[in-house]
This record gives sequence, structure tokens and C-alpha cells, in this order.
Amino acid sequence: MPRLAIKIVGAQGQGVNSVGEMCAKGLKRSGYCVFGYREYMSLIRGGHSSYQLDISAEPVRSSVTSVDIVVTFNHHGIEKNLRDLKKGGILLHQTPQWKFRNADDQAFIAEQGIRLIELPTEAILKKLKAKPILGNVLITAAVWSLLGQSQEQLHALVREQFGHKKDLLDLNLACIAEGFAACNSIAPGVTLALPKADLQWKDHLLITGSQAMGLGLIHAGCRLFAGYPMTPSSPLLTFIADMQNETKMVVKQAEDEITAAQMMTGAMHMGTRAATATSGGGFDLMTETLSLTGVTETPAVFIIAQRPGPGTGLPTWTAQGDLLLAVGSGHGEFPRLVLAVSDAQDAFDLMPQAFNFAEEFQIPVIVLTDKHAAEALFTQPSFDQKRAVLKRGRLVTDPKELEKLASADRYDPAAPDGISKRWLPGSEAATYLAQGYEHAPDGSFDETPANARAQMEKRLKKMEALKKTLPEPLYIGPKNPETLIVSWGSNRGVILDVLESSACKKRSIGYLHYQYLWPLRTEAFEMLSRTAKRTVFVECNHGGQLASLLKLACGRDVTQRILTFDGRPFFYEELCDRILSVLQS
Amino acid sequence: MKKSDSSAGPFMHDFASPNPCTWCDGCGDYGIWTAAKRALVTLKIAPSQVLLCYDVGCHGNMSDKIGGYRMHGLHGRVIPLAAGAALANPAIPVIAFGGDGASFSEGVGHLVHGIRSNYRMTFVMHNNANYGLTTGQASALTWQNQPMNSSPNGIPEETLNSMDFVFSLKPTFVARGWSGDIAQMTRILTAAIRHRGFAYVDMLQACPSYNKFATHEWLMQHCYDVNADPSTSLRAGGHDPKDFAKARSLAVDTQNRVATGILYQTEDVPAFHERLKAREGAVTTPVEEVKIVDTTQWERVFL
Repeated sequence: MPRLAIKIVGAQGQGVNSVGEMCAKGLKRSGYCVFGYREYMSLIRGGHSSYQLDISAEPVRSSVTSVDIVVTFNHHGIEKNLRDLKKGGILLHQTPQWKFRNADDQAFIAEQGIRLIELPTEAILKKLKAKPILGNVLITAAVWSLLGQSQEQLHALVREQFGHKKDLLDLNLACIAEGFAACNSIAPGVTLALPKADLQWKDHLLITGSQAMGLGLIHAGCRLFAGYPMTPSSPLLTFIADMQNETKMVVKQAEDEITAAQMMTGAMHMGTRAATATSGGGFDLMTETLSLTGVTETPAVFIIAQRPGPGTGLPTWTAQGDLLLAVGSGHGEFPRLVLAVSDAQDAFDLMPQAFNFAEEFQIPVIVLTDKHAAEALFTQPSFDQKRAVLKRGRLVTDPKELEKLASADRYDPAAPDGISKRWLPGSEAATYLAQGYEHAPDGSFDETPANARAQMEKRLKKMEALKKTLPEPLYIGPKNPETLIVSWGSNRGVILDVLESSACKKRSIGYLHYQYLWPLRTEAFEMLSRTAKRTVFVECNHGGQLASLLKLACGRDVTQRILTFDGRPFFYEELCDRILSVLQS
Repeated sequence: MKKSDSSAGPFMHDFASPNPCTWCDGCGDYGIWTAAKRALVTLKIAPSQVLLCYDVGCHGNMSDKIGGYRMHGLHGRVIPLAAGAALANPAIPVIAFGGDGASFSEGVGHLVHGIRSNYRMTFVMHNNANYGLTTGQASALTWQNQPMNSSPNGIPEETLNSMDFVFSLKPTFVARGWSGDIAQMTRILTAAIRHRGFAYVDMLQACPSYNKFATHEWLMQHCYDVNADPSTSLRAGGHDPKDFAKARSLAVDTQNRVATGILYQTEDVPAFHERLKAREGAVTTPVEEVKIVDTTQWERVFL
């Protein structure tokens, strides 16, 4: 698959994201699939951040380590990111009279045939009497020129944004013209040809996983969202909050994560759909509430956007280290569902599913995402609005049915699959107690051993029923693969890209992707893994947490593991090399 | 259960529970329990039309001794649990019950923000000035120098002045009752449940097993009703609950006498849900709005 990558780097607050987003939008509209990946540090100004766009006319879902163009806002990027360039790459910078003093750098440039372009940004802006912020448009124009694209595409973009302010629009248009002119005069003929465009991408959305999840929550009928800021879950809170005037959702930035979890629980008990989101540390604070929802059988939705721990860890980087936390958190034994999203499509589609399972089984549902899935920019078809169905399980709302209810129906241990009837405060019916203590069928305190056994068994029976209902993991590949790759979460994108690479395409490799992680369906895994020559787990954690869970669930421990735990996702070349070396072993 | 007829009931027996009470002899919870039921009956709120939320503590053992929809949650967390429920369905009155341990130690942050946010809910603070259910440890409201379980020499810290703290948060409703005066507690709770926003009700409560300082007798001798008509009552105050400064000084000063009754109330401050711009003009509650929503209209910005 012909692909190209541009990496925009600079200090946080300099405009790295603006240029990244503008280029992404322009490229998508010109008929390219774009995958955006951001790296930044846990600070507001300064630091060193990047926005990388991987571009192709075919689906692209991952980032490469060696890029075609580095665009840098400051001189730090010239040195720091020089080696991110591949052979023949272009370094576009804006530092007047820059000279490489380091002999290694000079040698690298010479050997690799790196082309340097110095854009006289300051001089051009001065000439146009334009504010520094317009440097972003200038740089975007220079990139556009290097990619051999037309000025008109950029005109449309700035017109959309500034059309209502003529002065500003004119300055933007002038910057575009100057950017193109500068590139043509400084580096005539230096271009990187994009593959032939495919106009199917034009009507796709460019959306982050957090935004897609936000739309998914809205789609699922979530009417109350309570959260406490914590990277990388905050962009979801921001998006939901920004949408509130349109969606009329109740959005509450709570005083802490415990509050957020309790509010969600109270709202769910009352009968609306509510969710909360946090990262690992915040979820630690929520786990007592998680356990409460287990015993009261209150539907609940907790979202964990994973980042590397322990402790404060690496707040702005990615990880998949909280799977075992999600599966094992909260005191006592109670049923739960853990699922993980891998991209924008999942983030949207799995939200109605999360609520449906929560309500059908009256259990807490933990949705895992990670910084990579949450903040990457996906080229995504318009979401299917017809697929989701509202399922509220054994919720009783019919007045005639309500009249027949007895208090003891609420936690009736004889209920099929342990799923008893549920009805909402305010219903004209016998009332009950949603009880955090072990309880009799009507919620009254009951410490007798027979009741304790009956209620524990009632609740955990739901887990068996849930397991049977859950879909099997997704499988792509030959019927009897020689190599079986098993993974979950955001790794899916890079794995799919690698499997489509020329090196892997001709090999017999299958990919089993888990969306639903606890309880685990193991039939497909066992069948494929038994006949495969090797089973390889790909995970962003130190222990191979899914591998451990599968071992727990079905006893198979025949696996090799490709793991990373440095806060970075798997990059395309890296995973390609690591899979190939496993195949050779 | 039939829809309640406004002319007849609900009655006290509608809130009766078959479960026997498990509180100690002379426990103040009996009085608060009775007053809570009486207030609901007075307001003609049927058991099916209320949500009672309980923290963990001796008071929480009320959760299955009373009718109504109820939820018994975690220690220290009843305020956000009740607030979430109240936000989801503002049409159903939500009453939260918690103790002084849960409110001034474990969950003190929730009390701060509950008052500040002015959620439409009642919070009944069972104030027996100790951790009763865990057999008599000191709370932040235990009198200093009282030997307690786990602090045989008394606690080193000064007692927290809970009312000074509460008034510093600009509450919209503050009342204080005591567990021996069921008629007054009923009047307080009736007003609290009707209140527009967050009603904070401090119920001084006898704990015969572990509180040997503010006993039933002590409370009987020290408490007086600030709302009573001064011409008809020997120990009355004639206090105007609109007067914030006076209410605060009455509430804080418990040196010689303890002011009880509705100390402060303003209906001029909108409740949290009324202040949500996003909910302006909403005619349904979030509970009624659960459905699959087409999000196409919000996708355009991503094109």
C-alpha cells in the first residue's frame, strides 16, 4: 500500500494541532484516507509535541516511524526530529540561516539525501502585516505545495472558517499564495507525489475516538454524564459538555471521581441512562461504587481511558495496562462486563451495546479505551444510525404489569438467569430497597447463610447468561492459520495495516480481535490456537494481560507475546518487524 | 399499589415495614424515623412517589424499616448518589439520610458541593456526634476530651463547628431538630422536602450507647424552638428564617442553649437543575428521554 507521512512538530501552543488538523481536513477532502496521531507532554506551553498524518488512498490505520516530511515550528524540531525522516525526506523549517553543527547530522543528511527547506515565515508575515497565528496557514500552504496539491482546496478551507470576516479571509488567502510562491522559489521542483486520490474518502468523517464515543453516548440515549478531568478521558468530557446545548444532556463536572461514579449510579437507579469516564487513577477511586452497583444490581457504565501507570505514570501517553484492573476491581464477587473499543467505529457502535448489556443484565459495564484510540484521528464513514436497538431488559413500565409486582420480585433468586424484574422509583407499584448490604429478595437486610448463598448465586448466574449472549471475537484470516495473532483495543488498526503489507500478505496469518474481554468467549480462540503453529499476543502492557486472562479462562498457555510498554502505540514498521521475527523463530 | 387519592392518604401505615427495628433502646433514630414518615404523610407523598437514600451507619438501618423506593449506598457517599437520582428525575422528591461521621469526615467534600450546587434534595444529617454502628468512635463532631472507643484519652483535635462550616457555604436551607421533638422534626422535614434546592437538616440525636455527653436529657434541657411565637412559648425565639446573619449566629452559638427549628431559608436561589442552560425549556425529565438518538446532524463538523 503506497503511503506517505507528514510529521508536524513544535512547542505546545505554537500551532502544531492547527496545522495538523487543517492538513488532515484538506487531504481527506482531496480524496485521501488520513490517520492522525498526536504526541504531547503533560504541560500547556513549551515542551515538544507532534501531530503526524499518515496518508494513503487505501485505508490507513497506523503511524510509521520514518516519515516523508517533517515540518517544524522551532529549531528544536530540526535536531530532535531529523532522524524521523526517511531517505529522501523533506525537512521544512522556519529558522533563518540554520546550520547543522553536528557532524553526525551532516552525515545523515548527506547519506539519506534529506532535502532542507527554510520557509521565511517571519519575513512574509511582516510583509503582509499579518499576526504570527497566520504562520499556520503559511506552513500549511507550503506543505500543500510540496504535496503537489492546488491552492483552491485550501481556499475552500479558509473560506469556511473566515468567510464572514473579509479582512481576515483576504490575509489568509494572501498567506496561501505566499506559501506556494515561497516553496516554488526556494525549492523549485521539490515535491512528494501523493498516490492517485480516491474520492470515496471525501464524504468520510475525520473524527477522534473521543468524539466518536461522545456521539455514541448520545446515540445510545445517555442523558446524564458526570466526570472529573483526567487525561486522556477529558476530551470526552469536553466534547459531551460542548454538545450539551444541542443534546440537552445533563453534564456535570463533579468534585471528584467518586462523586461522578455515584451520580451516574443514582441517575441509572432512577431510570435514565448515565455514564462516567476517567483514567486508571480516577477509576481506582470509583471501584467501591462499582462494587455497590454489583450488589444493588444497578445498571452502570464506567469508561476508562487508559494511560500508563502506576501512579501518575505517563499522563499523555498510551497503554493497555488496566485490563486486569477492569476485570478484577471492586471488592467481593459480582458480575460485570468489560469491553474495549479499538477505533472511532467501535467507539460509536459499542456505546449502545454497553448500555443495553448494563440494562439487560443489571450489571456494571466497564468500557476500556486508551489514549491512542481516544485521541487518534480516524477517517471514518458516516455512522450507521440504524444498527442500534434500545434494549432495556426486564425493566417493567406497563401499568398493569407494575400493579402485579411484589417488593420481593426485585431480587427474586428464582428469576431466570438470575435477572430479576426491575422497576423505577416513581412507578405505581410495590416499592423495594436497592440494598448495598446483602439482602432478602425485597432488599431487606438478611444475613442468614441460605439467603447469602441464594443471592450470590443469583447474581453470578447472570455472568453465565451474559457469556452465552456475547458475540465471539472478530476473526480475519484463513480458516486454519499457521500463525494466530490475538489482540484487543487500539492495536487493531496497526495490526490490520501490517497484515495487509506485502511482507505479511503471503503468509498464513489470522487475527482474532477481542471487543468483549470479560467474560471471555474462548471457543474460537481455542479452535484456532490449537491448530495454529504459533499464537502471538500483541498488547501495550508488560504482562500480556489478555494472554493471562485467556489462560485463566481456558487454560491455554502456548503463546508468544509482542509487548510494548513505553507509552507509545505500536508503529507500523516496528510491529511489522516484530511479527516477521516471530514468524522466523 | 393504587394511585394515591389526594383526599385519603397516604397514611402512616402505608410507610410501615414488616421488619422490626434494631436500634438500641432510647435511640434518636426512632424519633427521626417517625418524623420522616409523618412529613411524607403530611405532604401526601405516596411511598411510590419518593426516593429515600441512605448512607451507612445506624441511621442506615432505617432503610428496610420504612416504605417507599429506597437505596442504601456506601459510607460517606449518599449525597452524590441522591443528587444523581434527583437530576435524573426532578419530579420525584429525593431525601438523603447520613450521619455525622459520613458527612464531616469520609464524605465532607460531597457536603460542600451538595450545598454549593443546591441540588433539589433534602439531606437529613443524623447527628449523634459519634460513629455508632462501629461501636462509638469519635467523629469530627464529638466533643473534645470525651473518651471514646479508639481514643481513650479523648481526641486531640478541636470539635468541628459544623454549623459555622455549613453557613460558610451559603446554604439555601438550614434547619436543626432534635430527636425528642417529633412534632418539630415533622414540621422541619415538611418544609425541607418542599424546599426549592438543597435542604440541610441537622438532627441532633440521642445515642444512649455511646454518646454520654449530649444525651436525651441534655438535648431536652438545651434545645429551644426559634420559630415559635414568643408570646405563647417560654423558650421561644421569634426568629425570622430570612435573616442569614442572625440564623448563622443562632446556629453557631450552642454555649448555653441550642437553637432548633428552621434557621435559614431562601427560595430566591434556583436549584442546580434549574440553572442548567442546556435544560432550559425541557418539558421531559432525563428518565423520560432514553431512546436511540440519530446523531447525523452533529456529524457535519467532521466532514
